[in-house]
Amino acid sequence: MSLLATEPTRAAAVSKESPAGPARRRRGRAVRGQLTAWAFLVPALLVFGFFAWWPILRGLLISFQRTNLTDPPTWVGLDNFRSLFADPLLTTAVGNTLLFVALAVLIGFPAPLLLAAVISTVRRGAGVYRFLVYLPVVIPPVVAILLWKWFYDPGSGLFNSALGLVGLGPYSWLESSGSAMLSLVLEATWAGMGGAVLIYLAAMVGIPGELYEAAEVDGAGVRRRVWHVLLPQLRSVIGLLLLVQLLNTVQVFTEPYVFTGGGPESATLTVLLLIFRYAFQDGAYGQAAALSCLMVIVLALLSAVYLRVTRTWSSS
Amino acid sequence: MPRIPRRVALTGSLAAAVALPLTGCSALTPSKASSDGDLVLRVQGMPPATEKPALALFKKQVAEFEKANPGIMVKGSTTVFDPLTFSAKLSGGNVEDVIKVPLTEPQRLIQQGQVQPITGQLQKWDHFKEFNPQVIKQLSSGDGEVYGVPQYPYAQGLVYNRELFEKAGLDPDSPPTTWDEVRAAAKRISERTGRAGFVHESKDNQGGWQLTMLTYAFGGDLEKLENGTYAATFTGEPTKKALRLLKDMRWKDDSMGRSQLNNQNDVIKQFAAGQVGMFMGSPGTYRLAKMQFGMADTDAFGVAAMPQSGGNATLTGGDVYLVPKSADARHAAAAVKWLTFAYAQPQYSTTAAAQQAKSLAEDPKSAVGVPTLPVFDAARQARIDAAIKPYANVRTEHFEPYTEGLAGLDLKAEPPYQAQRLYTALDSVVQAVLTKRDAKIDALLAAAEKDVNAKLAADQK
Repeated sequence: MSLLATEPTRAAAVSKESPAGPARRRRGRAVRGQLTAWAFLVPALLVFGFFAWWPILRGLLISFQRTNLTDPPTWVGLDNFRSLFADPLLTTAVGNTLLFVALAVLIGFPAPLLLAAVISTVRRGAGVYRFLVYLPVVIPPVVAILLWKWFYDPGSGLFNSALGLVGLGPYSWLESSGSAMLSLVLEATWAGMGGAVLIYLAAMVGIPGELYEAAEVDGAGVRRRVWHVLLPQLRSVIGLLLLVQLLNTVQVFTEPYVFTGGGPESATLTVLLLIFRYAFQDGAYGQAAALSCLMVIVLALLSAVYLRVTRTWSSS
Repeated sequence: MPRIPRRVALTGSLAAAVALPLTGCSALTPSKASSDGDLVLRVQGMPPATEKPALALFKKQVAEFEKANPGIMVKGSTTVFDPLTFSAKLSGGNVEDVIKVPLTEPQRLIQQGQVQPITGQLQKWDHFKEFNPQVIKQLSSGDGEVYGVPQYPYAQGLVYNRELFEKAGLDPDSPPTTWDEVRAAAKRISERTGRAGFVHESKDNQGGWQLTMLTYAFGGDLEKLENGTYAATFTGEPTKKALRLLKDMRWKDDSMGRSQLNNQNDVIKQFAAGQVGMFMGSPGTYRLAKMQFGMADTDAFGVAAMPQSGGNATLTGGDVYLVPKSADARHAAAAVKWLTFAYAQPQYSTTAAAQQAKSLAEDPKSAVGVPTLPVFDAARQARIDAAIKPYANVRTEHFEPYTEGLAGLDLKAEPPYQAQRLYTALDSVVQAVLTKRDAKIDALLAAAEKDVNAKLAADQK
């Protein structure tokens, strides 16, 4: 009631002002609103500036400098990039990273889809299976790797002991350049697929049962139902997870660092591990920054594809 | 919910924005002076709270130092030198005024200009000229400037399990003195006990580091200085011989166990568990085996001087206290006072050494009496050893093959320029030899030498 009573007064006051008044007031209100918005933005901008953008910019600068981080740096132009491309380990590292990505896509990508499909058919105790599949995700990565290191131990490891029972092995899982990368991918798949399984399961719940029933009525077997109903319905989720998988696996570091240190014979030396070696073992910060910049370009391209694809899917 | 007035929100946000970085900076930037104007000297090397007697001894030293040097307040730090983060911390001004580093690091830090020379002030100490030149050379630059004070220097030797020796029918009091004998002993241990006879490290640059020891023992070097430029020399016959020995032990004798990708900790852990017969290491690995990896039967620990095959030399190691470049002139001066008071003088004075040994021996987990290289001359070291002996809690007779054999060996430092780059390249070579039956040693060494020389040349431009 009181609000209603004041309205005529406010209206009368407004009517007495010049025509330019409301516009000025609107502008003033807009400026004040912007100021408030900026005031709230400034802390976040400062934090990002100090801890994200400045280090990124500094990294870019260092890629054109020779520095020990204490003395004043000297500009060396493209020298860091030149010595980078002259290093035969770069080709090895890029090749190994691509091998890891390929193996992770071949093994690590279909595995969670398959597992989700199996779990979705379970009538009783599906929760237990979901829990068991997700469990490795909550184990700290280094702990999981140390556990698998014991599994892979060529002497008393779990895998060789188990295979020995049926007369196979022993195999040098991590110590043969032929099998080391595959061993890393197997652990990474086990450790990381829990999240993907849950996403697939959630997506599968959303597929209307009528589609399966209709396919069944049309005489489709399990394989055709998977091929013609399940996979097309999961198309967008599969594509999304594939891109996420690519982005993650290109940056693989923890597994080769803890399992093998990049060996044997650089067979598991990845790009990130090479950056780490340049910076922290050799003190070649310029080269490390140069390779990081190249890595950023690759990741930016992958991210652009990711954003483009997800936008297309969300609009469709 | 009550609305926050715009002006209050604005002021609060701006205040937070300004305060956030400031509080961050103030939390990270160490104070350089105490509230009463004393100079605060931050020093690494303070033992952790779990090592009570050693910590008590450190605090006592601090109190005595502060009494003798009014105006200086020592603040101990349990921070351990980490090569991965050191440069970043130094750049941010967060490194202590005294750092403790292993002997593998000083040359790299000197070459990168991250530590400062202390020759001028250290020379004022009465016994400066009595330092063991072989030890002090490793803390010095090419132009003779000294950068630090050594503590417990040692030479690499052959660590062996006396119990496994006995089980294999070998005499633990007569460990191998040549590499042919090491090969024979390793084969026997492996055949009779099923344990690894001999293990060689191969990753985290430690494969290259241990191949350096082997190369020295075979009479070679891994780096040469020509016309003022350093270059790697991997293709010498001694390095090839050393690798051929490893290849034979691994593939002909099968005496190196199953696990081949190991760093130092992996090897000591296996040794402490009684799984390894022999490995190249120092007497100081006794401490690691006992205190870090819980070696139950420390009586099985034995160490001999580095076996030789024509080199008559071994690699040295130890701890070193240095002053980083970030310390200003006043702090650097106070730091050198602390170094002479806390590390140089106690290693010179028999009374101080005995007091230290007595305090440390109170901790049953400690290792007192582990032999070190002379920090000064041999006669002084003999007097120090005699002063410590009553408090020794290790079986000193199990270290005798080391001390007796060491006397005739030449003590060599690590490759002087960019040693870690050399080790990275050699890691791959060692790994290839240990994991591939048909590894071509000559080709591997030639390729590694070519790669590393390209990097060294670029660094020296």
